Amino acid sequence: MDMKKPTPQKNLFAAVAPLALLGALLMAGCHWMIFAYAPEERVMGLIQKVFYLHMPLAWWALFSFFLVFVCGIAYLARRTPFWDALAESAAEIGLLMAGLALITGSIWARVSWNTWWTWDPRLSTTLIMWFIYAGYLVVRRLDFTFERRATVSAALGIIAFIDVPLVFFSARLWPQTMHPSVVGRSGGLEGEMLTTLFVCLAAMGVFWVALLLTRYRQALAAQRLDRARLDYLNNEDNF
Amino acid sequence: MSSTPSFLSSALIIGRKDLTLLLGRGTGLAQAFLLGLLIIFIFSLSRGIGETVSAQAAAAIFWVATLFCQVLVFTSLYALEEVNGQRQGLLLAPAPLQSIWLGKGLAGLIMLLLAQLLFLPAVAVFLDQEPQGTLMRGLLCILLTDVGLAAAGSLLGALAQGQAARESLLSIVIFPLLLPLLLAAISTGAEFLGGGVPSGDGENWLRIIMAFDALFLAAGLLLFGFIYNSRE
Repeated sequence: MDMKKPTPQKNLFAAVAPLALLGALLMAGCHWMIFAYAPEERVMGLIQKVFYLHMPLAWWALFSFFLVFVCGIAYLARRTPFWDALAESAAEIGLLMAGLALITGSIWARVSWNTWWTWDPRLSTTLIMWFIYAGYLVVRRLDFTFERRATVSAALGIIAFIDVPLVFFSARLWPQTMHPSVVGRSGGLEGEMLTTLFVCLAAMGVFWVALLLTRYRQALAAQRLDRARLDYLNNEDNF
Repeated sequence: MSSTPSFLSSALIIGRKDLTLLLGRGTGLAQAFLLGLLIIFIFSLSRGIGETVSAQAAAAIFWVATLFCQVLVFTSLYALEEVNGQRQGLLLAPAPLQSIWLGKGLAGLIMLLLAQLLFLPAVAVFLDQEPQGTLMRGLLCILLTDVGLAAAGSLLGALAQGQAARESLLSIVIFPLLLPLLLAAISTGAEFLGGGVPSGDGENWLRIIMAFDALFLAAGLLLFGFIYNSRE
C-alpha cells in the first residue's frame, strides 16, 4: 500500500488553488475582452459573443476525450491505477464542457439560424460524443471490481475515441450544414476578435487544468478508500 | 495428444455451440425477432391515411428494428455463460481468447441475417415499400453493415454480461458508437428502396461502412481480451 508515502503528486496538487485563482482572474479578463475589447459582429450582432465561450468549451471537451483515450492506452500498458483516475476525471470534465458547448451553440443557433438544432457535422459529432461519454461514465459506475472496471473502461475509452473521426466524416456526408468555419478558412475572424478568442481559449485551459486536478485528486482518494475498505473486509478478524 | 484447434476453427466451434443453444431454446430469439417486427409495425402508425413513407424513413425504421434486435441477440449470446461460472469454463478452453469474440460475432451475424429475412418483407408490407435499386448491391450493403454490427456487438456485448439491465446498458453504450454505420446504412438503404441517396454518392457511404467494419474488427481483435476475461 502506498497510502502513507508522500507522492510526487503532492506538489502537483499544491498548484490547484493558484491555478483556480488564475483561471478565475483570466476568465474575468476574458469577459471584459468579450464585451469591451472585441467589436460587435456586423451581421449577427450581440449573440455572436457567445462564441468566445462556445468554441473554447468545445475544444477543451475534445481535448478531454483525447486524454481519456491516452489514459486508456497507458492504463492497459502499465496497469497503474492513477491512469484510471485521470481518465475518469477527464471524461467527466469533457462531458460537462461538451454539454455546455451544446447548450451555448443551441442558443446561438436559435438567434442566428432561427432553430435550436440543425444537422451539422460538428454539432452532431459533439452530441454523439456527449452520448458516448455519458455511456462511458455509466459503465464506470457499474458494480465491477476495481481491476475489471479499470480495464473495461480503458478499452471503452479507446473504442470511443477511434470512433469519433468516423462519426465526423459520416455526419459531414449527411445533408444540411450551416455551421460557420472560423479559424483557418476565408470569412473567419479578424484582429481583435481572434485575439479575444485565443485569450478565452487559454483562460478556459487554465480553468480546465484546475478542474481536472481537483477531480483527479478526488478520484485518487476514492481509489484509496475503496482499497482500504476491501482490505478491511478481507481481514477476517473484523468479523 | 491432439493439437490445439486453430483460431478460426475454435471460433467456428464456439459459434456453432451458441447457435445451437439459442435456436434450441428459441425464447431469446423469438424476443429479438418479435421486437423488431413490432417496431416496424408501430412505425407504420406514423403514416397518415393516403400518405406514403419515404424511402429514407423506411430504411431508418428497418435499421432501428435491426439495432434493437442486435442488442437482444448479443446480450442473449453472452448470457449463455452467465451462471455457474461458465465464463471461466469458456475461458479455460484451449483456444485463443479472440475466438470467443469471433465465434459469438459469427453466430450473431447469422441471427441478424435471419431476422432481416423477416424485417425486409415487413418493411415492404407495413411501410408500403418496393425495392427499386440493384438487388445485389442492396444485399451487399446490408451484409457489410451487419458485419460491422456483429463485430461491435460481440465486442461490447461482453461488457454487459452479468450486469443488471444489460440490454439497456448495451443500448446506451453501443447506439452512439454505431452512428456512422447507421447513417451509411440508412443512406444506402434509401438508395436501394428507390428514393435516391439523401446526399453524397453511394460509393462514399459504402466506404464508411467498410471503414467501420475494419475499425471494429481490429478493435475486437485487440481489445476483446481486456473486456472479456476471468476478472469479475
